[in-house]
Amino acid sequence: MAVKNLPIVPSGDPGALVEAANYATWRIFRPVITESAKVNPIVTLYCPDGAITVDESGAEVNYKLCKGCGICAKESEGIQMVPEYTGPKGVF
Amino acid sequence: MNKVLITGSEAAALGAKLAKIEVLGYYPITPAFPAMERLSKYIEDGELNCKFIRVESDHSALASVLGGSLAGARSYTVTNSQGLLLMTEVVYHAAGLRQPIVMGVANRALSAPHSRFPEHGDAVSQGATGWIQLFSENNQDVLDNTIQAFRVAEELRTPVMVNYEGYLQSHTLEEVFVPDQGKVDAFLPLKRMPALDVTNPRGVNTVAGPDVYTDYKYIQNAAMEQALELIPKVAADYNREFGANSCGLIEGYMMDDAEHAIVAMGSIVGTARLLVDELRKQGKKIGLVKVKTWRPFPAQAVNQILKNVKYVTVLDKNIVFGVGGALATDIKANLYGQGSMVINGAILGLGGGKCGVKEIKEAVDHTESSENKNRSEWIGL
Amino acid sequence: MTIDFKNLPKQELFGQGNVGCKGCGAAIAGRQAMKVLGERTIITIPASCMATLGGNNTKTTWKTPFYHTLFECAPAISSGVRAALEIQGIKDVNVVSWGGDAGSADIGFQSLTGAAERQEHIIHVLYDNEMYMNTGGQTGSQTPLYAITSNGALGKKVHKKNMLAIMEAHGIDYVASANIAYPEDLMNKFKKAASKKGFSYIHILAPCHRGWGIKPEETIEVARKAVECGMWELFEVDEGKRTRTYEPSFIPVADYLKAQGRFKNLTAEQTAELQKSVNKYYGKGE
Repeated sequence: MAVKNLPIVPSGDPGALVEAANYATWRIFRPVITESAKVNPIVTLYCPDGAITVDESGAEVNYKLCKGCGICAKESEGIQMVPEYTGPKGVF
Repeated sequence: MNKVLITGSEAAALGAKLAKIEVLGYYPITPAFPAMERLSKYIEDGELNCKFIRVESDHSALASVLGGSLAGARSYTVTNSQGLLLMTEVVYHAAGLRQPIVMGVANRALSAPHSRFPEHGDAVSQGATGWIQLFSENNQDVLDNTIQAFRVAEELRTPVMVNYEGYLQSHTLEEVFVPDQGKVDAFLPLKRMPALDVTNPRGVNTVAGPDVYTDYKYIQNAAMEQALELIPKVAADYNREFGANSCGLIEGYMMDDAEHAIVAMGSIVGTARLLVDELRKQGKKIGLVKVKTWRPFPAQAVNQILKNVKYVTVLDKNIVFGVGGALATDIKANLYGQGSMVINGAILGLGGGKCGVKEIKEAVDHTESSENKNRSEWIGL
Repeated sequence: MTIDFKNLPKQELFGQGNVGCKGCGAAIAGRQAMKVLGERTIITIPASCMATLGGNNTKTTWKTPFYHTLFECAPAISSGVRAALEIQGIKDVNVVSWGGDAGSADIGFQSLTGAAERQEHIIHVLYDNEMYMNTGGQTGSQTPLYAITSNGALGKKVHKKNMLAIMEAHGIDYVASANIAYPEDLMNKFKKAASKKGFSYIHILAPCHRGWGIKPEETIEVARKAVECGMWELFEVDEGKRTRTYEPSFIPVADYLKAQGRFKNLTAEQTAELQKSVNKYYGKGE
């Protein structure tokens, strides 16, 4: 048994969660950009997870960060929530 | 080095000033407050470049000092009794965060019933917190221990309490040798170790899972064990640099041929010295062990110095209810299986109760005569 | 000041990968604020969802120095941080303590009032979900009248403590209310607070869908209704000058209250009573 190599002051690496995150399994629905031009850039500030970006090249969702809360689709045009699972019903 | 006549509170303040503390957080409490008043005056007079945070509670006092330390400043506070108890949550927390804070504690009895008088109950209540605890026999110790505390704290990244008793030390004048500032600067070079630093951001005190919590505690405890080696080295350095005579972990007095040893910490050590001198004149082979470092507990050093004695009388100005005196309990636990001496604990001097030569003599006699071996005796009821 | 949403700082200093629930109002508040505060910010967060969602073990979402403090003392910790920066001559860093309603208005109130009275050069944020959500949603002083909580199934019988008035009474540099549905207003307030030399207090209404009995996607919508019905006034007190920063459209309070499960038992009389108090506050008669 060896003691783990940990920082002297108990602490975490900055931003390390960004790389580690994968929230695909949290989602029942996923936001899909249907009309990029219509997406209101304010949704970038309504997203709790920093998962959506809107710039000159259009709107984009990072599906590693997105938990599927649906705020963006509720607050803006051009985004639709679609079910993550579309297979036969009654499986779960 | 010059000699001054000062109280223990002034010695604590002077030690902190010589250590050039940078953040002072403090909430007034009796009898610790004169140390804070003296430090505030140093700051107002421009003799000390330090930020004083006039907090609204003892809890915030240690919290503010902890914030200062986390952001890289040498930080100090003073308190005692109820203030220390209110701080307790932060006391554990600061140790877990490995911050080199130094805190003066003007030991005072705990309520209830309400008491303003000296006792070690407050310090003893913090014995499991992960702070190094040093006890002071006299005002010289208060000053010497405060300066050494910063060196130990910063090398081990572990906070240190410097205990001195309320009134008996905090308000009593004694001669104290004061080291030169230049030499203290060299003894205590400032190495900043900010955990909160915008150029090196960290997420401090993130939630630790069961997979790492034990490891963190192991590492924290390892630093405490290192303190057993470091404290005597720092004391030796200090003595060499300043021509002082400061104790490391423990110090024996008349112990070479002693058959009976008194073990004590704090101001009562000085009183016990008088008794040892008196009994030695009568031909009794008695000695004294001064425990300066109570946490971490210097088990090896204590076992070594006590290995040939027949009787041990441990003086405790504290009571752990249902167990006995804290120091006696530690000594018994660590001497387990190492000899057949009688170890009697004496509870005395609680809440300013009598603990003079007469009471210590009573305790010593009790150890040698009582049928009731290896128990705690209450003296001075 | 208008905020250009297309040209906000790209840098995500907080939020990405956070371990909060989906649709977390606290995380939204944190992201909006950090866009303004920037990377030279040291943030202290007492026990709360906001402290724990920042990360665990050796991983955190924060890219600025972040410290999960004890419950009672974030403003005291921040006071010490500011003192340490000053002694080192570091002047361009925002020092922020960011508490929930418990860590600011209840268990954390003592250190908050202390730091405000001392005019510490820090910003304190109360992100308000109106109940103790990190322990499952119990009643606290910021829980509004009649709201059902996990330990109060009959609804709260007394009013929400008015923290904004209390903080204004400290005579601090800057006091503001904010709401996550109005990021422009919120971010402007953070800009102002960051420019002050003394103490600033920003109180953000940030719904928690679990505690409020709403759907995750309704977090912003319900927050907006709180403002539009007049129950959450957006205002600031800038060095003593009080300004309403947004004029609500005065939708019926029932639209806000009835959208939430925590008010499901609200009677017609209670709703009317709340409507009446809003009307009175805005000088719209009874």
